[in-house]
Amino acid sequence: MKHSHSNAMSMSRRFFLRSSSALAALSFIPNSVKAFYQDVKEKFFVKKQMIPIQLEINKKQYSLTVDSRATLLDVLREELNLTGSKKGCDHGQCGACTVHINGERALSCLTLAAMAQGKAITTIEGLADGDNLHPMQEAFIEHDGFQCGYCTSGQIMSAVACVDEGHTGSVEEIKEYMSGNLCRCGAYNGITEAIQQVAK
Amino acid sequence: MSYFFDSKNTKQMPKGRVEGIAKVTGKAKYSAEYDIPDVAYGVMVGSTIASGRILKMQVEEAMKAPGVIDILSHENKPYVSGFSGMKEMPDNRFGLPVFYTDKVYYNDQPIAMVVAETIEDAMFAASLVKAEYEEAIPETDFAKKVKEVSLKETENDRGSVGAWENAPYKVDQEYTIAKEIHNPMEMHATIVQWKPNDKLVLYDKNQGVNRVQSVISSLFDIPTDNIHVISEFVGGGFGSGLRVWPHTIAAVMASQQVKRPVKVMLTRPQMFTMVGYRPESWQRVKLGADKDGQFMGIIHQARNNSSKIQGFSDGITRVTRKIYGFKNVKTEEAIVELNLPMPTWNRGPGDTTGCFGVESAIDELCHELKLDPVEVRLKNIAPYEMETGLPWSTNYLNECLEKGAELIGWKNRNPVPGSLKEGDYKVGYGVAVGMWGSGRSYTGASIDMQKDGVITVRTAMTDIGTGTGTGMQNVAHTVTGIPKSMIKIELGNSDFPKAPSQGGSRGMASVSSAVYAASLALKRKVAGYAWPDKDANSLNIDDISLSDKGVTYKDNFVPYADIFSKNNLNDIKVEEFAGPGEERKKYGFCSSAAHFYKVKVHEKTGKIKVDRMVIVVDAGRIINPKAAANQVIGAGAGGIGMGLMEEQLVDFKTGRLIGNDLAGYHFAVNADVPLIEVSFIGKPDPNINPSGAKGLGEVGIIGAAPAIANAVFNATGKRVRDLPITVERFFNA
Repeated sequence: MKHSHSNAMSMSRRFFLRSSSALAALSFIPNSVKAFYQDVKEKFFVKKQMIPIQLEINKKQYSLTVDSRATLLDVLREELNLTGSKKGCDHGQCGACTVHINGERALSCLTLAAMAQGKAITTIEGLADGDNLHPMQEAFIEHDGFQCGYCTSGQIMSAVACVDEGHTGSVEEIKEYMSGNLCRCGAYNGITEAIQQVAK
Repeated sequence: MSYFFDSKNTKQMPKGRVEGIAKVTGKAKYSAEYDIPDVAYGVMVGSTIASGRILKMQVEEAMKAPGVIDILSHENKPYVSGFSGMKEMPDNRFGLPVFYTDKVYYNDQPIAMVVAETIEDAMFAASLVKAEYEEAIPETDFAKKVKEVSLKETENDRGSVGAWENAPYKVDQEYTIAKEIHNPMEMHATIVQWKPNDKLVLYDKNQGVNRVQSVISSLFDIPTDNIHVISEFVGGGFGSGLRVWPHTIAAVMASQQVKRPVKVMLTRPQMFTMVGYRPESWQRVKLGADKDGQFMGIIHQARNNSSKIQGFSDGITRVTRKIYGFKNVKTEEAIVELNLPMPTWNRGPGDTTGCFGVESAIDELCHELKLDPVEVRLKNIAPYEMETGLPWSTNYLNECLEKGAELIGWKNRNPVPGSLKEGDYKVGYGVAVGMWGSGRSYTGASIDMQKDGVITVRTAMTDIGTGTGTGMQNVAHTVTGIPKSMIKIELGNSDFPKAPSQGGSRGMASVSSAVYAASLALKRKVAGYAWPDKDANSLNIDDISLSDKGVTYKDNFVPYADIFSKNNLNDIKVEEFAGPGEERKKYGFCSSAAHFYKVKVHEKTGKIKVDRMVIVVDAGRIINPKAAANQVIGAGAGGIGMGLMEEQLVDFKTGRLIGNDLAGYHFAVNADVPLIEVSFIGKPDPNINPSGAKGLGEVGIIGAAPAIANAVFNATGKRVRDLPITVERFFNA
């Protein structure tokens, strides 16, 4: 099941790349064929479409009707008021939107909500067990692994995965495997030390 | 309020910031995250030319897109009194007259805002908005234009240039620094909600709620009291939140026009053009010394780029007049107006830039003199505040230098460049210092005590990650004696006592004084209720203390329950304001830092790795040791970005930025930064304020980039005078 899902994902991405380069080429075509361009545009750009989806987030089932263009991040933040996952770039460049999908770290801004069906999604809101913080959350507080707090949700989700993946052998290894999560405040000492503590 | 506090929760909490739990659980609400019913989404549209005029907006196709409510532009906007009365651009103190001009001054200048039902609808429709332009040739190349602009005296000169004409040792070099973008992780965002009777609520990302309040008030001609600004959690600033930018103004206009709450969050590429940046700069430093390394004089000239909308001078030569005891100083500055977005203050504005020139030149001079750069600096530290002639209140820069040298193992440094190696890497050590004037502003704080003795301390000041709230709790606890678990903090709200913006390293120095005053007032007021027969004002304040249960005066104790019931009170409130006073006429105030770095440079690839960073800071008393160290660590990481990677490039033909996202513009990631070693001198300044805290947000970055450049020279013998030191600059040096 998981396998066929990832196949579908890579196919659609390839299709997108092909179609966008086709459009780029079309932009050099003179005005006389603008009508043709319009036709092509109609064909490639899917019109707004509302689709019903089911999502499992933090062990809770949600039935939603969402825009087919909606990212998982925007659905979390704008539809479900789960604003713990942050938008820092919307392009998969900063890691602030990191969630776990089937236990692995994933960028929710690069995941269409419709692609996340049938998978177990965990956000920062689902990490603690009620009032009992996850050890990584406690470690981030203790080591002051943040300043403004905006990248923190993504850092913690990545940090938990980093420990699960076993990439905590040295300070250098932690730093390498945490470099997809940017922190402009530069609280890298605390982030690294928090992970070292939990990995012990 | 979302700040962590739950009096019913008896569980042992980890020791950290007051807002720690909110931040690690995702419960902290940043400005775009408030759930406002019926909110519409706004998306900014920027110009696609850098200079010229909009002939016509083309919004028909966008208007037809699903979910679009309205599209604001200069052809369709509500009345804004501040812009309507505007004459020419230089008259406008608000910056870009948003939607009140058809002129285009830079590429991606906001020309429209799409308002739609959902974020997807708004983003899609924004991609369809076009404009027809009359295009002019833009001026965007700083390097090309920089020398054409005449320098102006800063009118702070000392001595004369002639006095050191015959200095035996001289350095005369030019230095440049690329544009740097603040890029806080939270993209600037605002939710605006108009309410009946011209009342307005803004959930806005900024560094000062009162500043937003006053700008919106004067622009829209509504009383400040009608404007409620909430900025409880601010996802970083570094200076980008010190101004009110076009998207906030546009959101206020849009909400008024569509009669609905409007939310706008900039995209990351818009963060590069719409909320300021550190301007590109050029400097010339001419420095003279005698054979013992005693400085004889300096000429410091600097130019920075600005926009065509408003002049912005970064104040690059200020630091030259401050750190060292030059008897002869000549400083000149100029701004170079270009068709580029508006620059603004970026962490350690001016001084960070100026220090790169001066601290590099000193290193060059020391090399020529064959003298130790630490010794030369120690010899030349300003004995008093040179510009005013006032004695320093405290200045422990000498101790910073001595301690830093010891911690990094400066004695292991070989003054001959290129003599140390570790594997394939050449190794070098570098030093530089930074200084920042310690300011303090008039600030308010209130304390509200409930019947159970729990107090809430409030201020309008924002906490942009600096630890303001935790500092307030520490001060209130120390002064009153009430345990921290019973002290709540609320801030970043214009309903609370007025405060300056969080910036210029003034936050803690200012708010700690206000909380100190309010804490004393609370002690006195509670004692007054407890012992009505005594004159509360005549009691020795040190004999009064508060606890979790009640108030003590000498051997007498009265529980809070008795005070509240006997006086029939619901709560006890105090509000105090504190600001600078006579001490400013008697002393000069500064914070300072010494940076000692070790770098490794790969012999074949030119890869530069900062291997160790020791930063020693004199910032008076340290109120939050962990958060303060974190501030300096973050500033050091910013210094690595400035020194080695941060660079905003411009396509000179179109004026468009190149690589305007986080894949194209690099700042330091975790792997770029070593575990930074921070230490503090920690001696309270007895005059600046009651807490003795001088502020430290800026000094951690001032001097960081030259310490890297100086270390690279020590490692390789290559002097790179242009930042950032990318591989190609390193090899071309």
